Amino acid sequence: MIVLRRKVGQAIHIGKDIRIVVTEVESNTRAHLGIEAPIEVPVHRLEIHEAIQQENCAASQGDARAWLQEAVNDA
Amino acid sequence: MMHEEQSWKAVAEIDQAEVFHFPQGLVGFPGANDYVMLNSGHGDIVCMQATEQAEAAFLVSPWDVNRLGKQPELTSDQKKCLQCRNETRLLWLLVLNPFSDPAWVLANMRAPVAINLDASLGMQCVQANPELDLHFHWMCQPGQSNQAA
Repeated sequence: MIVLRRKVGQAIHIGKDIRIVVTEVESNTRAHLGIEAPIEVPVHRLEIHEAIQQENCAASQGDARAWLQEAVNDA
Repeated sequence: MMHEEQSWKAVAEIDQAEVFHFPQGLVGFPGANDYVMLNSGHGDIVCMQATEQAEAAFLVSPWDVNRLGKQPELTSDQKKCLQCRNETRLLWLLVLNPFSDPAWVLANMRAPVAINLDASLGMQCVQANPELDLHFHWMCQPGQSNQAA
């Protein structure tokens, strides 16, 4: 992991077109980051990303079409 | 063009051959960007299948305003991604999970899918509200009971 020291107002550039700016630091406990990224790059808090990813994987772990057909047959 | 009648929602028209492009993919499936709707016409649930990744297949159902309240609102970034304008026809879908609970089909209210029907663009829109349920009891498993939650 690369660790960089940045002050408020300073930025980090990643790849071709991702820019992260430190906009505020609360008493050395929490940093506020501004993120500019292309539309096709999703930006989420890690814990939310992991929770949604887990849900999506669970939702696609079975045969959705077979389940749907079975549900129709049972109706 | 399939004309799907939703008795308690707006009328949604979904062309079964139409490909919906998701610029960001779905969370955890960034490489699956194009989806088609399969089995539309069988009630409220359809299968959203990725065209280039077989395992990326999701059961989705339209957001039910009567049960869940008003539909989410897009952020400015989400509007930009979906190329939304004021008159854009937007369809909100819930991702369903029928595989994790033997009694219930679960719905993820925290990350619904928004589709711009005019531009054939889609996006899974993670909601900021932490109180939205990841495992909302959407309906009983078929064969368990016919009563909804």
